[in-house]
Amino acid sequence: MTSAATSDKGPEHFPATHWSLVLKAGKNDTTRAQAALSSLCQTYWFPLYAHARRRGHHPHDAQDLTQEFFVRLLERQALASADPARGRFRSFLLAALNNFLATEWEKARAQKRGAGRQLVSLDFSAAEERFDLEPADPATPEKAFDKQWALALLDEVLKKLETEYQREGKRVLFAALRPTLTGARESQPYAELSASLGISQGAVKVAVHRLRQHYRDLVRQEIAHTVASPGEIDSEMRHLFAALAGS
Amino acid sequence: METIKLCSSCGKPLAPNAPKGLCPECLMKGAFPSDAVPGTTNPPSRWTPPPPEQLRSHFPGLEITELLGAGGMGAVYKALQKKLDRTVALKILPLETARDPAFAERFAREAKALARLNHPNIVAVYDFGQSGAYYYFIMEFVEGTNLRQLIHDKSLEPRQALELVMQICTALQFAHDEKIVHRDIKPENILISKKGQVKIADFGLAKLLGATPDTSLTASQMAMGTLNYMAPEQRESSKDVDHRADIYSLGVVFYEMLTGQVPMGRFEPPSKKVQVDVRLDDVVLRALEREPERRYQQASEIKSNVETIAGAAGKSEPQSPTPQNPSAPVIYAKKKNRNEFLGIGAVVSATGFALFFIPHLWLLGIVVMLIGGRMTLIPVCSNCRKRITRDAEVCPHCAARFQ
Repeated sequence: MTSAATSDKGPEHFPATHWSLVLKAGKNDTTRAQAALSSLCQTYWFPLYAHARRRGHHPHDAQDLTQEFFVRLLERQALASADPARGRFRSFLLAALNNFLATEWEKARAQKRGAGRQLVSLDFSAAEERFDLEPADPATPEKAFDKQWALALLDEVLKKLETEYQREGKRVLFAALRPTLTGARESQPYAELSASLGISQGAVKVAVHRLRQHYRDLVRQEIAHTVASPGEIDSEMRHLFAALAGS
Repeated sequence: METIKLCSSCGKPLAPNAPKGLCPECLMKGAFPSDAVPGTTNPPSRWTPPPPEQLRSHFPGLEITELLGAGGMGAVYKALQKKLDRTVALKILPLETARDPAFAERFAREAKALARLNHPNIVAVYDFGQSGAYYYFIMEFVEGTNLRQLIHDKSLEPRQALELVMQICTALQFAHDEKIVHRDIKPENILISKKGQVKIADFGLAKLLGATPDTSLTASQMAMGTLNYMAPEQRESSKDVDHRADIYSLGVVFYEMLTGQVPMGRFEPPSKKVQVDVRLDDVVLRALEREPERRYQQASEIKSNVETIAGAAGKSEPQSPTPQNPSAPVIYAKKKNRNEFLGIGAVVSATGFALFFIPHLWLLGIVVMLIGGRMTLIPVCSNCRKRITRDAEVCPHCAARFQ
């Protein structure tokens, strides 16, 4: 049966998630809100970098502006205009970035205030490689951004999932069962898994179920961090799926 | 050397930036609520229906000519029933469903329920069964088109849309009276015969293919783009869903028929997007209410409202309703052979409206409110707007006949 922690059921207990924390804090620089925002930036910086590159900025320029943008963001300047009613970190971030590109970047180039500071550690070396892997995307910048966002989210979730299983000493199990997350039964027949893992088929079924349930919970949690209220999780999830499906 | 890898679920090539080498689309899909119990089958994300030749041995009595269409819900073929020499539609359900032993029982039960739906606006079920690994239905073959095609071709005039909606309501009301909920009303399922007759297809299949009451088809339906038509309570859980979910879906379809777009987020009422009677806004919006309690509770109510508006559409000048004017505003009850009344909300507005026209009715309304402390339904004649008794066949005031 489903575990009590399933998030498929009705109104859920909504712990203070990152974005809702940030919105509530507004311009007040609470440490918690700062940490929350920092954490969000850590997860979702690549879509921003990719967006800057797509807008025609060279890799070095894109690096600088992404860094500078975050500095400003974390200094609350962009947040002054964050409309609490709007709700989603994703849309907010894209709008803020576009605004930044349109107005502030030219001025900021001259005096990079973020030079030398490391509020968010961004691995730019891998960034350009990753950007190269992108197909030349005919979609609108917004669609491309949303797609990158969805990928970043999935990456984060898988990372967290793997870490959790590792902590429980189930690294091998996770590696073997991971393909079941995409739902394919044919490629991972339980008989094979049972043999390679040395457990009964029944145990495999249960393990798969638990993994998928946990995965679903994590996805919802991760999305919850980027929206202002639990009611928005479902629609954000659908939006992200649509963004991926459009490829 | 890199080979192109394919996703084992959907078959699409894996992009190099796929998270941990897993197809992102399928990953995201997997995040939606799906089977709750290990071992139950998932609705297949992509299923290739067998070509007609492959099916012939399974259905000796049929001459299967062509594949008409396929989706997550199965595949439909055109066939000739040799003995009766009539053209039928053969629908087979995906192979996955056949593996679940509990399915056979549900299938039989559902098929019998569907067979009760004998109505000109509902695609008839002639036979059902299991042949080899296929579960099948043999159904009425509808020569014509479907609503999706009409919407896509932009060939729907508002007048036609109203006419179609009324037929859909008739069909829905009939099914709901038989305690059958469609659960997947969408333009693809609304067929229109060459004679312009609406035929709703796939009744009850959504429930049949959802493995247990807890399972939602969300993932598969999302893949098919039908989430748009799903009522909010249905998206959340398939357990507390009743016939009012169909009403919501009808609202979405209605909106799309009028405006060409599906209502999303903060959408504009139809009259602001296209040239239609402004009274339709209320009908559409009420069908689209988030809370089932706030929606129309019966499809027949929608039909009568639309009928009223459609009836008035032919007139060129707006007229204020007079006792002789049959185009009375929709807020008054129209008595049908089933004795329907206005919902409570409408009584309030009826009372309010009556303030202007019929003082004594207003007083009556007030008295009712004061006495009970709560609202009750006031049956009124749609012609003269005077109060009548529930089961009257003729209005004692103006002698109008009630159908």
